[in-house]
Order: sequence, then structure tokens, then C-alpha cells
Amino acid sequence: MPTISLTNLTKCYDGNTEPSVDQVSLTVEDGEFMCLLGPSGCGKTTILRMIAGIEHSTSGEIAVDDLVVDSVHQSCFIPPEQRRIGFVFQNYALWPHMTVERNVDFGLRLQKVPAQERKERCLDVMSKLRILEYADRYPSQLSGGQQQRVALARMLAVNPGVLLLDEPLSNLDATLRLEMRAELRRLHQTFGTTIIFVSHDQWEAMTLANTIAVMNKGQLQQIGTPDEIYAEPINRFVAEFIGNPKINMIKLTESSSDQVDIANHILARLEESKHAEACAIRPEEIVLSDKANANTLPMTIENIMPTGGSWVIELSFGDDRLFHSTQSRPVWREGEQVNAYLPTQSLHFFDQTGHRLVLPESHIDYTNVFTNMTRSSQAPNAQPFVNQA
Amino acid sequence: MTILLTAAEQKKPNIWRRARHSFAVARHEPANLIGLVLAIFFAYLILAPVLSILVDSFIVQSGDEARTHQDEGSFTLYYIVRTLYSRISEILLWQPLYNTLDIAASTVVFSMSIGVALAWLVNRTNMAGRAWFATALIVPFMLPTWTFALAWTTIFKNRTVGGQPGWLESLGITTSNSVAYGYFPIVFILVLHYTPLVILIVGNALRRLDSQMEDSARVLGAPSRTIAFSIVLPLIRPALMSAALLIFADCIGEFAVPYILGLPVRYDTLATGLYRALDTRQNGVAAVIAGVIMIIGVITLLIDVRMMKEARRFVTVGGKGNMDRLRKLGRMRLPASGFAGAFVLIGVVLPLLTLFLSTIMILPGRFTLENFTFDYWIGSNLDTVALRNGILLTPEFWQAAWNTIVIVGSSSMISGVLGLLVGYAVLRCSFKGVGSFLRQITFLPYLVPGIAFAAAFLSLFAVSRGPIPALYGTPAILIIALVASKMPFASRSGIAAMTQLGKEPEEAARIAGANWFSRMTKIIIPIQAGPLATGILLPFISGIKGVSLFIILAIPSTDVLTTYSLRLLDYNYDQAANAVVLMIALIAWLGTVLIQKISGTGLAQGLEN
Repeated sequence: MPTISLTNLTKCYDGNTEPSVDQVSLTVEDGEFMCLLGPSGCGKTTILRMIAGIEHSTSGEIAVDDLVVDSVHQSCFIPPEQRRIGFVFQNYALWPHMTVERNVDFGLRLQKVPAQERKERCLDVMSKLRILEYADRYPSQLSGGQQQRVALARMLAVNPGVLLLDEPLSNLDATLRLEMRAELRRLHQTFGTTIIFVSHDQWEAMTLANTIAVMNKGQLQQIGTPDEIYAEPINRFVAEFIGNPKINMIKLTESSSDQVDIANHILARLEESKHAEACAIRPEEIVLSDKANANTLPMTIENIMPTGGSWVIELSFGDDRLFHSTQSRPVWREGEQVNAYLPTQSLHFFDQTGHRLVLPESHIDYTNVFTNMTRSSQAPNAQPFVNQA
Repeated sequence: MTILLTAAEQKKPNIWRRARHSFAVARHEPANLIGLVLAIFFAYLILAPVLSILVDSFIVQSGDEARTHQDEGSFTLYYIVRTLYSRISEILLWQPLYNTLDIAASTVVFSMSIGVALAWLVNRTNMAGRAWFATALIVPFMLPTWTFALAWTTIFKNRTVGGQPGWLESLGITTSNSVAYGYFPIVFILVLHYTPLVILIVGNALRRLDSQMEDSARVLGAPSRTIAFSIVLPLIRPALMSAALLIFADCIGEFAVPYILGLPVRYDTLATGLYRALDTRQNGVAAVIAGVIMIIGVITLLIDVRMMKEARRFVTVGGKGNMDRLRKLGRMRLPASGFAGAFVLIGVVLPLLTLFLSTIMILPGRFTLENFTFDYWIGSNLDTVALRNGILLTPEFWQAAWNTIVIVGSSSMISGVLGLLVGYAVLRCSFKGVGSFLRQITFLPYLVPGIAFAAAFLSLFAVSRGPIPALYGTPAILIIALVASKMPFASRSGIAAMTQLGKEPEEAARIAGANWFSRMTKIIIPIQAGPLATGILLPFISGIKGVSLFIILAIPSTDVLTTYSLRLLDYNYDQAANAVVLMIALIAWLGTVLIQKISGTGLAQGLEN
């Protein structure tokens, strides 16, 4: 199974001054399940198409194992029909004039696989993808999910070392998405294929991939496991792009010292934050309580939005707004006052260029942690606060 | 796992390397090669004739040395001056120009008014016999225009012209010249012919209109009149405009009808003026007239482009709600059908019946039993000088029919395939310039009237040039000329079909490992079979109906049905000529029915492209 490496890969479309893909270097190891994640128009599909060979690069290099398949420097370009890389299109691109079976065995016929073997492999992959019963139907007679399975089967039949998927779940409805997600993970395990897929949807990326490469404006932002990307976003873009509800971003520099706002609260609490341009906290990391202390902020509950099993609470402090999310049923009502604590170890700091700042360990304050976040904290066994005063 | 934020600054590859890489990419993309080959091919096939016409208007033509006091081939403004400013320019250009614009404008106005009314009746009301009329009203468009012209002369012909008299004349009613020939019958016939086009295009737009837009207005309390004038009419305006411009452009180039009905009273249009100039060996003047027609074509096209740009603002996505809500006509239900019925009667029944009767009558206009005979169809050993058998028993007829099928058929086939290839090359070619050049050059023949095009072909291909032998008198010149003249339609439908298909089915085939040939034969052509069939059959029908190319380029050995019938007319075998015309109409009608069988509403869609 091959390793794919991109070196300084760049793509400029004719007439565009800004490159669509800008100096992207990354390596996809054998057997990896990687997602290229980013907002629409960030160049992720272009990368996928360049790996497949449907698009060619402007500069840089693509290599499969040690074989260079596209390089301007070496004046080399291997066309898609010779690369043996599978590609599943976003809208599946099934051939409307062929039955499901003909769609699936098209690649095998081209490889001149003997009829008997072709039949067997075809049946095998169709039964694995559970489309055997539709073998004689035409694509237009299938549902979206079935069409996608045919598109997958068509690629898997020729047993490519690498499978590229363009937005694999985006055209499916909620139930099918879950089903297909399981299907893809199962495929990855049974076939052992290297899979690279593209998504603008973080849920899709988080739930499927082992590795996520976050992209923005043609540039690679961060590569890491889903957990890494979520817990330690490398810059403001990644922090804000990942997470739902969105991370709370608090600008630190724009506030004057006499103003009463969250920024000043943080600046007053943490000396080091003065080097930072902005500070951010995930909604679920905010701790709410009825009790106040020096490290808490008195906030008003503006809005409680149930999202089915969890709740998003909009908090206000002066003109500032924060979103908090929780798995437990809120005990406050809209319009009530509550005290919010922003734990120091949950705060992310970013400098002027938007890069992550790492604060010295000593400043992380482990003392001020709520152990209980609901009104039941008033119960006798609760001892949440250590008063610093 | 490494984190890469800024990649090291890399030296930009130099131009030479980039060019070699582009070549490596292009080597695997045959669309580039196809695009280049097609571009050269059409440059020779279309651009060269058009340029040669334009150049001819500034070059002393053979035989004009004495008049111009210059040598043959030298530069001159003589033809421009003669056509535009001399004493005879009134006859040569200005009067025909006025007549042409007069006919075109009148035809547009009348066919639009009648067509919109009929389109509305057929698509949006509960008029009696709606479904039947939807088909019957389109029939006049399937018949060649000169079928009507011949039917008209059969009835109204008067003593201005010799030969067999018209029916009214033989019944003792003298028709005035203004009824029998000239402006009135020409416009009348063109309106009959083009009204179905309006019904098709506007009807299509009406059907596609999202009913929710009207519903929204209705919910807000708008009365029907307001809905019609402030919602529906503005939304179908692009369709109205495109129908109007299409008809206008077609009328400018119309040759057969003014040739038959204008000539007896010296009522010239630009197309007949051009033919007359060619016929009298005034090639320079003909070139200037052709140039004028092209300029009108370019102006029409520019207006069309402008309108389409504006129309794009109106394009709305969706439109699922189909229009099944029909307006109740109440007491007007039968009169409305009467109106539509009258159109069918005048546009289909009367002309065809007239032509048919004329083929079975020995003496025109005498409705007695002994005057009727089927001899002109199936008789044998007749006492006429040349045509001793009925046309169905005449070998020349079948030879001409066979020639028609072979020549028109093969040229439609070629243009259909070329159109698809043009669509392919335009959308896939890596070089932008080649694509837009192809797109424009294949549209160019639309601006050039068939007569002028044929003349240019004659001057270009009559003698051998370089590797190409002299083609005059061979079917090849007819086929090439037909292919070139059908390219505007073929390339437009090819581009539309390929755009609709998108790149992905082919890209998927590439990924599956298919080379270009397999992609073409197993993916593209099978998927495009329907559009391709329409793209072949539509040019076939219009090719069969066409007159102007054949009248210049065909010789007796390459006789086709149209020239055969015109020759019979010249020899005064009116009955046989009309019988041939009826056979042409029959073939055209059958072909159209075939198209509609193959691709549902193919005709309407094809015409709109």
C-alpha cells in the first residue's frame, strides 16, 4: 500500500492571482484515513483532484511511494488512467447509460480481467457494499445512498491502493450519513486502503478520520488527530473553525482599562495574557455557578437553546456575549444572574499573527475548579469554592 | 506527525520547465489536438469562404476590367460605389434592403402576436382540443416555406406570368398583382411558417415558469390582468426576444419565397438580389450585398447577446410546480378553438390540399371529374414530351430522392458528430483561445445567407487549390457546404449537451483507467446518443427543405429533390413539380415525428439553443 507525499504543492488557476493551493506539503502514510478539512473554496478538493491526476499542479511535486506522478520541475505528469488511484466524486458521476453491474465492472473490463474472475470480484465487492440486489438497475433508479455505494464499489472493484473521496457524506440525509459513516470505517478496516477524503463539515471529519489536515485559503493550517486539533488549535482560524457551538473568542487588546468587560477580567487575572492579542474558550469549558468569587464573572442568562440532549446558553456581561454548552439540564431561567468561571487551563491564547501562545505552566491555576455546576451544588456535600481573598 | 504552517519558499519553476510540464499534461488530453484540428478545419471551411466574399467586394472581378479600367485582381472601390452610391444602387441595394427589412419586421410583428396568443391558448387555457392543437399547430414549421409559395401561386397566379394559369384565373376571377405577388403573400406565408416557432419557444417558457411565482402574486391579491402583465410577461420576455430575433434573422436570409413570389413583379429582397447579381455574373456587387446581409446578421446577433446577458438576471432556479391550473375560457372556449382551427386550416390543410389537388388535375382550376387523374404520380406512357411516366415511376425522381438522402444524410451525420466534437473540444481544451475561436467560428455561417455561402464555396472549391481537387459537380462540394452551413446549430447543441453532461462521467472513466478512445466510445457517445440523434435529424430536415445551397451548387448529376422540382417547374410540369414538393414535405414531416419520438420535446429545445 502506497504512501502519498505532497511537496510544496501549488495550484494557480488561469486568471486567478491568488493560488488555490499554496505550497502544501504533507505525507499520507500507508493505511491512513485522512480528512482534508476546510471551508468551501479553500483548495481541498483541488488537492484531491491533483492527487488523482484530473488536475495538474502549477509547481511542487506529488509522489506515490517514490514515484513522482506530477512535477513541473521534472516535467513529469502521469495521467489519471495510469495512476490506479480511486476517486469517488461528490455527486458520484455514475454512468447513466450502464447498469449498476456494468458500472462496477467497467474498470475490470478495461484491465482485461478474464470474465470468470471479473464476475467473482464484481459480485464480491457488490455484496460487501450490499448493492447486489440492484445489479441490473440503472443509476437513476437508485436512491442517493445506493448510488454512493455503487460509486464506491466501482472504485473498490479495481482494488486501488488509495481511495479519494470528495465530500462523501454531504449529499446524504441524517440517517444515511450515520449508516455510511459506519460503512466507510468498516471498509477502511476490511480493505486496508489508504483513504483521503475532503470535507467542509467538521462532524464528518471528526467522526471518520484518524488524521485531520485543516486548510484555509489554499494553505495547510494544522495536521493532527481529531483530539489534537480540537484541544490544541494551532491558530485562531483552526480554533474558530473547529467546534460547535463555535469557540468564544475574546479580543484582549481593544479594551481600555477602565471598561468593565471580559477582556479586562482576564487581563487582570493573568499577567501573561498581556502578550496575547486574543483569548478563547470552548463553550463547554465555561463553568457556571450561583456562587461568586474573585475569579468569577457575574453574567446574565440571555437565552437557553435546547439542542436535544444538550443545551446552549447565551450569557452576557455588559456588551460581551459568551456561549456555554452543557450536557446537563440547566437549572437557571432566562434573565437570571449566574457566575461564570473561565478556567485558566481551558483558555487558549493567540498572538497578533493569530498563532497560539503557550503560557508557562506555573500560571495554570488548578485551585479554582467548580466540582459541581448545578444548583444542587448548594447541597451540603458540595465544597466548590476556595476563596482566594 | 509534523505541523506545517509555512512551507519553505521555493524557487518558481522557470518558463521552459512549465512549458514542458504543460506539454506532458496536454499529451494525455486529446481534446487539445481535436480542438486544434477542428479550428484549422473550420478556418478553411467557414472562415475562408466568408473572407473570400468580403475580399471579393474590393477586388476587380474577371470580366470587369473594362468597366473599372483596372486589371483583374487589383484593389477597387468600384463595387462599393456602384452598389451604394450609383444611379442603380436604388435597384441594386436600397430598395431590396427596404423590402427585406419590411418583410422581416412585419413577419416578426404578426407571427409574434398570433403565436403568443396561440401559445397561451394551448398551454394555459381549457380550449377545446388542446392536445390535438399542440401538435397540429406546429406542422407548418415542418413544411418547407416554398411549399406554401407554390400553393399560393397555384391558386392566385395571374397573367403577369406565363405558363399554366392559377385556379382563380381559370375560374374567371382576375387576381391583382398585389395579392398574387410581392409583399403581401411573402409576409403572409412567412407568418404562417414562423408562428409555430413562437408557439414552441413561448410555450416552453410558459410551461417552465414556476407556478409559485404566480401563486405568490395571487396570494397578495393581484388580479389575473396584473399577474399576466407584471409577473408572467416580464419573465417570458427573454423567450419572446429570442423568438423575435430568430425569426428576424431567418427572414433576412429567406430566399425561396421571395424568389417564387417576388420575382414576377420585380419585388427584390437582398437574398434574391444577391442571386440575380450572381446569375448575371456581377460577383463584385454580389459580394457587397452579401456583406450588407452579414452586417445585418452581426447587428441582430449583438442585440441577441445583449438581450441574453440581461435575461440571465431573470434566471430562477427551480420551477417544479407544473402548470396544470388552466384558465377557464367559458363561452370563449369554442371561438378560441375556432381561431386555432383557422390557423391549422390556412397553414396546413389548404396549402397541402391545394398542392395535392394540383397534382391530380390536368388543367388547373377546372373541378370536373374528367379533369382528375393520377397520371402525374403513377401514370406511364404519357403523351408529354419529356416526362413520360408519373414521378413515382420516373427513375430520375428516385435518383434525386436517393441523392437527397445520401447528400443531406451524410452531411447531417458529419455535422452532428463534428458538433459533438466541437462541444467536447470547447469544454475540455486547455487553451482558452482555441475554445472560444471554435465557438465563434462555427456560429459564423448563421450570419451568412445560404446563397452567399454557396457562391463563396463555388469560387473557392470550383477549381483545384493545393491538395484539394476541383469539387464542382461532385456531391462532395454539396456535402461540405451543407456541413458548414449546419454547423451553427450542430455546434451549439453539441456545446449545450457537453455542458449539461459535465466533466465528471469522463473523469470517472479516466480514474477507472479508460484511455481516450474507450472514454469516447463507451461513455461520451452512448450518453449523448439522444442529443446526437436530434443533432443529426434536425439538420437533415432543414437540409431537405433548403433551396439556396442546391440552386447554386447542384448540377443535374447531383440532382436532389429540391432542384429536381424546380427544374420540373422551369419546364412547366407544374403537377409533377408539386408532387415532388409534397414528397419533400412528407419526408420532412416524418423526420420531425421521428425526432419527437426519440427525444420528447427535442424540437422545441433544439430550436431554442
